Parts: sequence; structure tokens; C-alpha cells
Amino acid sequence: MTTGIELRDLRKRYEGHGGAGSWAVDGVDMQIGRGQFVTLLGPSGCGKTTTLRMIAGFEVPTSGQILRDGVDITDQPVTDREMRMVFQDFALFPNMTVAENVAFGLKTRRMKGRFGAAEMRRRVGEYLDLVHLGTHADKRPHQLSGGQKQRVSLARALITDPDVVLFDEPLGSLDAHLRKVMQIELIRLHRELNKTFIYVTHDQDEAMAMSDAIAVMNGGKVQQFGTPREIYDRPTSRYVAGFIGHAHIVEASVVESGASGLSVRLGNGEVVRLDAPASLQRGEAVGLMLRAEDLSLAKPGDGELHGKVSDSLYRGEYIEYVVDLKGGAGTVHVHEPTHAAPFAHGDDVALKVNPAKAHVVGGA
Amino acid sequence: MLLWLLPPVAWFSVFILVPYAMLFWYSLGHTEDMRFVPGLSLANFARVFTDEPYLGVILKSARIGLMTAILSAIVAWPLAFVIAFHTRSASVKFALYLLVIVPWWASYLVKAYAWKTILGTNGILNATLQGLGFTDEPVRLFLYNEFSVVLTLTYIFTPFAVLSIYAQLERIPTSLVEAAKNLGAGGWEIFWRIVLPISVPGIIAGGIITFSLAFGDFVAPVLVGGSDSVMISNIVINLLGVAFDWPMAAAIGLVIITLGLGLISLTGWLEEKTKVRL
Amino acid sequence: MRAFGNRPFVLSLASLVLFFLYAPLLVIVVFSFNDSSYTGLPFNGFTLHWYADLLSNRQIMGSIWNSVYVAVGVVILSVVFGLPAAIALDRYEFPGKGIFRRIVMLPIVLPGIITGVALLSFYLTLNLKLSLHTIMLGQGTALMCITITEVFARLQQMGKSQTEAAVNLGANDWEVFRHVTLPGVRSSLFGAMLISFSISFDEIAVTFLLTGRENTLPMTLWSLLRREVTPEVNAAATLIIAVSVVLIVIGMYASRGKGAAGSEGR
Repeated sequence: MTTGIELRDLRKRYEGHGGAGSWAVDGVDMQIGRGQFVTLLGPSGCGKTTTLRMIAGFEVPTSGQILRDGVDITDQPVTDREMRMVFQDFALFPNMTVAENVAFGLKTRRMKGRFGAAEMRRRVGEYLDLVHLGTHADKRPHQLSGGQKQRVSLARALITDPDVVLFDEPLGSLDAHLRKVMQIELIRLHRELNKTFIYVTHDQDEAMAMSDAIAVMNGGKVQQFGTPREIYDRPTSRYVAGFIGHAHIVEASVVESGASGLSVRLGNGEVVRLDAPASLQRGEAVGLMLRAEDLSLAKPGDGELHGKVSDSLYRGEYIEYVVDLKGGAGTVHVHEPTHAAPFAHGDDVALKVNPAKAHVVGGA
Repeated sequence: MLLWLLPPVAWFSVFILVPYAMLFWYSLGHTEDMRFVPGLSLANFARVFTDEPYLGVILKSARIGLMTAILSAIVAWPLAFVIAFHTRSASVKFALYLLVIVPWWASYLVKAYAWKTILGTNGILNATLQGLGFTDEPVRLFLYNEFSVVLTLTYIFTPFAVLSIYAQLERIPTSLVEAAKNLGAGGWEIFWRIVLPISVPGIIAGGIITFSLAFGDFVAPVLVGGSDSVMISNIVINLLGVAFDWPMAAAIGLVIITLGLGLISLTGWLEEKTKVRL
Repeated sequence: MRAFGNRPFVLSLASLVLFFLYAPLLVIVVFSFNDSSYTGLPFNGFTLHWYADLLSNRQIMGSIWNSVYVAVGVVILSVVFGLPAAIALDRYEFPGKGIFRRIVMLPIVLPGIITGVALLSFYLTLNLKLSLHTIMLGQGTALMCITITEVFARLQQMGKSQTEAAVNLGANDWEVFRHVTLPGVRSSLFGAMLISFSISFDEIAVTFLLTGRENTLPMTLWSLLRREVTPEVNAAATLIIAVSVVLIVIGMYASRGKGAAGSEGR
């Protein structure tokens, strides 16, 4: 028996007017181990929220199964699932105080008798302290800031001690600074509480920073499911390579491939060597993924690729150069330290490629 | 600024402030041989509170108004709830909304009169009861009493209560219901602990108007009320049209205007007190 | 997942309420076709007799025109005086603003009879003869707050930025009103006009004391109902219901269409 949440060929179709319809979720298979922090990442409309809402029980799958610790819960009513959800709009009850909001899950009929009044008070206090809101217990939701509201929502979800906590873009309505603070908070809570977190976001930085595993979704399908490092360094498709990080894909064809590495030739005839072992056909068309931080600029003749600087952008931490490759083979971005000798618009440059990090993705 | 402000201020001065001032002037005088004699006496105001039947009728009108407001809110709630929470398709929602509005705009008199047809001794209700053999003689209890007045007024104001409760319910975000379900709450718990409390401002907003309109009604008491269900507006009409006692009518009017101003302030206070910031 | 609670249960409750709302109207409509001079069971057969009587009743037909005349006047008064009031309340702070707002709202919470008594004493003091115009002035005063509150709410919703942008681009007061304010409040103004018209058409409390020789439709019906109930009244009532249904549907579709167009533009 597998522990945790398992999705088996999960599908959801929305019917439109006059027979038109579309698959919001189109065959998702996924294993989420107990205690993991898993993020569903993708642009809006990719099916990530629908998937989460099916797990929570708000949407009924068109087909497929949802299992929890090996038990089919596809048809279990929401009320019985005991997976708590943190909403993007916080969904705090406006007619209750902060403490009453947090206590809500303990006071439902199904929980009746499990906690005495004193125990309940103690527990509410404990969970408010956990999210640093001990002094705000008697306030109303409208008196709180966005970050505080989200903490209340968190405490409310956590207080009944669920195995699984679901997050629907919980930081989406917060400003950039508050988002960073709350990310650290969420990582801490995940570490301390040892619960399964299933998290939906369109923000890749957030996903990379917090998750044990990321499912990159697009068009209702999971494009790649793996650790942040796998997703970043070894994307399996052009879509994932392009979606994550500052990567540019240059068309190339395989020169030779084997256990010792791989060589590809660009459209302009220049050849790049990669360390990663591969078994590709000679002449096969591939996309060469070049990330800005895996490239460095040098004087012409000092690197395997050549091009011309078209723009330079001062970013504070680094300078970002936009370089047009020789012979119209493509455009790449390069991050250079700010203390390096600067290049200007129109300069001819050479590019060195880090052979350990460069990566190819299949197909034209 | 004056361009916008002057016309309305002039209008309300001429047609509200001046008439009310005159009302005050009349209320201080008295009548002799059906002619108005100016004076400076507060006797008429004292009579409102001491002479029969004035204070009693004011209180009874308030009671009828209150019962109407409460009953129409209770009757209205389930329909408002279904439109706001159980109707997914926008066109069905629009159709239900229309179904509520139509009886609201259908003539006031016609609606009161319809109940007379239904409740009367020869009315539909009695004919049905006799036809079904529940009773041999027409039941007279249905019509010409306070019950029939409250029932008729409740009928008249229910659509309005539906609209004001619906307006509030529609503002409740779906995520609140989802959050409650997600936290393990059942249907009744969501109703009692979340949706009903949040609907209170809508109930009050509609209730105040319903109360005021029912309080001042004089149609229902005449059409479906009995000899004992005279309301304050009927008294005022009688004072003017039958007794020609202008000063007394003016005094009652001023007392009610004062109550009305109090009610407006109470409304503001209640709205602030029960306000739910969604 | 907005729905909660036992669906069959809440749907049957709501259906009961709808039955409560429509049964009395149905009774009126059905008996307007009953071939019996008395309203009540049994149903003797179908007839259009009462409609024919109604159409040849000069008193009723005349009073319909009187009602339309009064209602149109009330709508014009509400727009001419109510629109500026709403704009002033939205834009400016002035001494006595709170009192002004209360006075405007007063006729809504006061029994119409009281407004009638106050205006009647005013007219009598001025020796004004009671006529359709005195009714118009009275209803206009009582119903103006509808236009004021509807338009005021819309103006508050609109906020100041559009007006400020227009002024910033060099528009004068008239141009701001013509190109920003009026288009912005158009749909709520239209709604308020429709509501004012229908309430005026049905108004009886304020009208009651201010009526002269010529009667409005509700006053005519009232006198008929008090004297004796004839199925002619059923026929009139059925026609009123039919006309209001048509007017409401037109009004709702018009304002819904405008609302949708407005949100597209935003």
C-alpha cells in the first residue's frame, strides 16, 4: 500500500455552450508521498487549480481516481475529507473574530466532544502563536493586513491537525516582500509539522524555493514531475525548459553522442560539447538549452560560440547581455558579474558554454 | 457647486420644510365649528399620548409593521437563498429574479384585493374547504381581522424582502462556503454560523422599509381588516375628512415624523452595528 | 460548490414561496374570465365580457391617462431635481449635508399619508386648487429620493478619477457633466426613471389627500373596490399585471444590456 495521495488518470471536462467543451485536466497521474511538499506549477488555465480542487473534493472528476493511503476517495464528500485548504482570497468568515475563525474547524458537529472548551481555547492560542498572531485574537478579519489574513487562514487549516494541507495560490494576493516572508514561514511550518503540503502556484521562484517536488503543468497535463533541481537542470521538454528560469533554446543537430558526452552543431556551423551522456542519432535535430548563468562572455576567439552584443541591462546583482549568435543561429542571454570588463552594444564577443550544465531537449 | 445644490435644496425647502413648518403651526392651534383657530398650545401633542385611541393605534400600527417585516423576511429568505446559492445558470437566475419582481410591481391595490377574494366568506379558501368537506359553514376567521391585515401586507412586501436579502447573499464569496465545507461543516452549520449572520444587514435594510410602509398603510385595513384593525393612517384620514380636526391630524403627523427621523438614525446605527465587511 | 444544504428541501421551500407569490395573482386573472357577476367559485365559463365593460368604462379609461400624465411629470421632476442633488451629495462637502440627506430620505420612511397631510396644509394655505398637478408635486417630492439614492450610489462606485482625468485634460464643468458624469450614471438613471414611473402609476398614499376632481387609476380602482367588487376590477387588474410584466421585462433587459456593454468598455 502506498501512503500519501495518488492520482490515477484524473480528468475533468467542462461543457461549454452548444456541445463545445474542453478538458481542464486531461489525464494526470501523480504520486505524492506522505509528508512531501509538492507544487503544481503552471500558467493560468493549465489545470493546476482544477486538479487541486478535485483533490479537495470541490470538483467531481469526469474520470479517473483519487486515492489516499491506497483508499479510493474519489466520491467522498468534501466535508468528510479532512484535508484543509488555504484559499487565495483567504476566505475568512467576516462575521467572526480571528479566534472564532481559527476555532471553526474544532467546533463543527463532527468534532463535537473531541475538545473541551478549555482545551479548545488553549489550542486556538497555540496555533495563533504558531503563526505569530497571538495578540490579534479578538480582531475582525477586515482589521488585518493581507499577510495577517493569510496567517489566520493557515492557523484555521492547521488546527484540526490534518495530514494533508492544500494551498490554492495562497500568496497570490500579497506584495513581493510579504511573499518572500511567507515563503520562509511556510517552509518552517512544513518542517515543524511534518504534513503533506500540496501547493498550487504560477510563480516558479516560489515553487523552486519551497517544494520537495514540482509538477509542471500545461494544457491539463503534467509536463514533468521531479525535484526542483531535476526540473531546472534536466528539463525533459522544450516547454519545461522554456518555462523555468532564464533559458533560451537554440536549434542544433547531433554530431556525435555516447557515454562520454555529446556534441551538437548549431545552424551557423559552430559546435558545442556537453558532458551529459546521451544516446541520440547522429544528425538528429535537438534544442540546445542555454541558461544565462551557464554562459560567460570572452574576447572573440576565446570561446566555442560567437556573436554580437545587442543590448546590455544593468540588473544590480549582475549585468544581463543580450547576444545575437553569429549567422542568425539564435539569441541568448548572458549574466556577467558586475565587476567584469563591460561590453557595449555592437561588440563582437565569444561565448563559453559550461559543458556540465548545458542540456539538450528532444525534437524540433 | 451652487448650480447643482441650489435647485434640489430649493425644492426640498418648499415642498418639505415649509409644509412641515405649517404642520407645526396647525398643530399648535385648535378648531371651533370646523374652522381653524391659531394658537400656541401643546394640548394636541398631549392628546396624542393621553386620549384614546391615538397612542394605542400608533402602537398597534407599529406591531403590525414589525410582524410584517419579520414574517416577510422569513418567507423571503429561502427564495433569496435559492437564487443566490442554488442557481448555477445565469439565465435561470435572471428568470427567477424576474419572477420575484413581477408580483412586486403588480398593483398594490390589486394585491390587497386578491386576498379579499381568497379569504372572504365566499372566497376561494372557504369554497375549497367546504368542497373538501372540512367545514360545513364558511369560516369567518380568515378575513376582517389583524391576521388578514398582516398576511396581506406580508404578501405585498415579500418580493421586496427577497430582493434585499438576495442582494446581500449574492455578495457572499463562494470560497466562504467552500472553506466551511473544507473545515468539516455541514449544511445547517454553514447556514447558522456563516450565511445567516452575513445576511442580517440585508434583512435589516429590507425590514426597515417594510416596517415603514406597513406601518403607514391604510389600504389593507380597509379592504381586508375588521372594525378593530384601524391603523394610524386611517385615523389621520378620518380626522381630516370626517372630523375636520386639522390640528389633531397635524400633531399626529409631527409625532410620526419625529419617530421617522428616529428610525432613520436607528437604521444608520443598526447598519453600522451589523455591517459585515466582505 | 456554492450550493449547500439539502437541495430538494430548499428547492421545495422556494417553490412554496413562489406559489405564495403567484397564487393570488392567478386568482385575479382566472376570475377576470369568469362568466359570473360575482368573484368566487364556481367557475361558470369563459367570457371576455368584463374586458369589454372595462374598455367602455370612461371613468377608468380617463383615469389611466391621468395616471400616465402624473407619472411622466414625476419622472421629469425627479430627473431635473434629483440628478443635481445626487451630484452635489457625491462631489461636495457643505454645511448641513447630513441634515439634507435625512430630509431627502424622510418621505420614504414616513407614511405617505403624512407627506400628504403636510402638502395639503401647504396647498390650502396658498389657496392652490387640488388637481393632477398638486398630485404630481406631492409624488415628485416623495419619490425623488429614489433617483437621488440610485444615482448617488452609482457616482460613489465610479469614483473621482474619471472626472479628475477630464478636468486635467481641460474639460469645463458642462463638458465633464456631458461626457463623463451623464454617460456614467445613464443606466442607473434609466432604472430610477423606470422605478419612479411604476411607483407613481401605482401610488395611492400620497395621492389620496391631494386629489382634486380628476382621479388617477389607483384612486378610481379604490373607489370601485370600496363600493362593490365587480369582475370589471379583475379585468382591470389583469391588464395592469400584464402591462407591468411587459414593462419590467423591457426595463430589465434594457438595463442588463447596458450593464453588459458598460463592463465591456471597462
